[in-house]
Amino acid sequence: MLLLILAILGIPLLLAAGALAGKRPGAYGLLNALGYLVVLIASSRLLAETAFSGGALRLAGFFYVDLLSAFFILVAAVIALATALYSIGYIKKDIAKDIISERKAKYYYVFFNLFCFSMLFVPLVNNLGMLWVAIEITTLVSAFLVGFYNTKKSVEAAWKYIIICSVGIIFALLGTILFSYAISLSGGIKSLNWTDAITLAAKLNKNIVKVAFIFILVGYGTKAGLAPMHTWLPDAHSQAVAPVSALLSGVLLKMAIYAILRFGLLVIKAVGFAYFGNLMILLGLISLVVSCGLILVQKDLKRLLAYSSIEHIGIIAIGLGLGTPLAILGAFLQVFNHAVTKSLMFFGAGNIVSAYDKHNIHSLRGVLKVLPFSGVMVLLGVFALTGLPPFSIFISELLIIMGAFNKQEYLIAAALLFLLAVIFGGFIYRFSEMLFGKRPKDLPVAGEPLSGKLALMFLLTLMLAIGPLFMIYYKDWLWMVKNLFQL
Amino acid sequence: MQGVFLLGIIIFTYLMVLSKRMTSLIRNFRLQSFFLFLATGWLAFKEQEITLGIIAFLIFALKVIAIPQVLRLVIKKIQVKEDLGLFINAQMSMLLAVLFSALAWFFAKYLVSPYPAAGAIIPAEALFIILTGFFLMIFRMTALAQVIGLLVMENGLFLLAAYISGGMPFFIEIAIFFDVLMSVIIMGFFVYRINKLFTHIDVNKLTRLRG
Repeated sequence: MLLLILAILGIPLLLAAGALAGKRPGAYGLLNALGYLVVLIASSRLLAETAFSGGALRLAGFFYVDLLSAFFILVAAVIALATALYSIGYIKKDIAKDIISERKAKYYYVFFNLFCFSMLFVPLVNNLGMLWVAIEITTLVSAFLVGFYNTKKSVEAAWKYIIICSVGIIFALLGTILFSYAISLSGGIKSLNWTDAITLAAKLNKNIVKVAFIFILVGYGTKAGLAPMHTWLPDAHSQAVAPVSALLSGVLLKMAIYAILRFGLLVIKAVGFAYFGNLMILLGLISLVVSCGLILVQKDLKRLLAYSSIEHIGIIAIGLGLGTPLAILGAFLQVFNHAVTKSLMFFGAGNIVSAYDKHNIHSLRGVLKVLPFSGVMVLLGVFALTGLPPFSIFISELLIIMGAFNKQEYLIAAALLFLLAVIFGGFIYRFSEMLFGKRPKDLPVAGEPLSGKLALMFLLTLMLAIGPLFMIYYKDWLWMVKNLFQL
Repeated sequence: MQGVFLLGIIIFTYLMVLSKRMTSLIRNFRLQSFFLFLATGWLAFKEQEITLGIIAFLIFALKVIAIPQVLRLVIKKIQVKEDLGLFINAQMSMLLAVLFSALAWFFAKYLVSPYPAAGAIIPAEALFIILTGFFLMIFRMTALAQVIGLLVMENGLFLLAAYISGGMPFFIEIAIFFDVLMSVIIMGFFVYRINKLFTHIDVNKLTRLRG
């Protein structure tokens, strides 16, 4: 247990230090990727331990790992590995094209590793105040990666990101303080440990908990990209270095969802499920509607993908808000599936943008001819992202919609189906325009680095593997979800 | 005594809303932080809590001395315009601030509802400060004013934390403190970069990213 946590947190820190001391950043990528392979192995081991024992692991009162945290750590580790792999080729190409210097590449690896460290740290801590600190650190570190290219646009995006998320997170701190107030009122103890809070949860003052949760939801919801607090998200995602966009969208947003869930479990116990559920469904629906409208009119490739992240976060929120075991399982699977699929799309988009040097969809044509490998991957990714079988998002969205029908929330189910259909249309239209067509005359067929191909294959395998795994294990998974939420 | 300190905080919060120039905004922020330091220090002395005393000392060292000084240096170095760029004029801002205080009062009364309303005074004041900070962030157009708005919001939070739960667990509060310091440093770094790239720090003119 100690060894696992040491591996998960220690390796990124060591890698960051190594990058800072290292001389040849171009060659550092491989070591980096190997490090994250070890992190992935350690975190799957951690998940196995918590899943089969059904209990929680504690360490010195500071670390606390249950199934919920282990699951989110696994998501982070998977995407971190894929991103580390993809970075090898991407950063080399940027150096070769003289977009960044060798020295700057060194700082890329330093911040990349610190960012991964901060995100792996979030689900491990027991203390709710520490959780806040960890999430704030993710913002501070990733702001450098958003503003990495130091252009006017990227610095503007970084500023918006850091300011909006800092304000958001102040509200989350206000909510946390109110929770600590409620805990000290009913328990007489000065503690913000989640383990203490959950034992006292049933006795907490209902008024305070309700108000506190609104602040938590506004605060961490900003970070999660729930509309209407999402305004930083498309800017940051579109301006960040391509591998970092994948980390932002795949992992960072999910960590905020994790924080909301941690508090959500307290709220469910204190004031009942309906309060938590209704708020989540409300924000989820707003996110879906907003993102749907903006996806239809979006012309920038990476912004389009960013709005699609808002859409998927909305779907996750609705799944959690519905609260039937099927819907919650669907939401959890969606967290994983979206992370994997969206990372694949951002990698593909990164390759496209660096081959064409443009991001406007109208001026990108014939991607399948210029980038045969990435083009096919992006095509498959579009099908996966819009929820077509046999890809994994189909299963998780189906589960959430089934959950809505089970609960006789026909309106929500209908709204979901309608919006998903519209988004499907928008995506297929935009991407078919871009992927097919003739190769522009001035562009040769671009070669792609092996590491990038490996990363894409790795993600594609995961997208396809969840389906069969679900068929085999769905009973166990349902049991785990019921156990976690005590349904 | 405590009442005087709390009143001081409120007065300087109002004055910050009225400030039209960067230097006066920073001066008022410094004085607000100073009264916050007095209020927490007094509480620490009364309840004989060493941890709260350390927090008060940190408030003094960072928010009264260090951060305003750094902000001043930044202004000198990048030679920004003194004008804050009010999005809403001073009179209107004042009216809104009064509205915030009423809002904060009703909200705080609801929060402590089973207990007598006297207990709502400090939460109300803290909420008022948080709302005002939020207002400053949205309606003042320079990047530095936004940083100050954020710091004001944090002052409100520290007041709330110190009073309603007798402080949060100590190491958390220290962690939060250093986090805040880090974020100010990083924001300062970005203000510097914005100024270098755009030759101004008017956030309202950062409009390259739309849609």
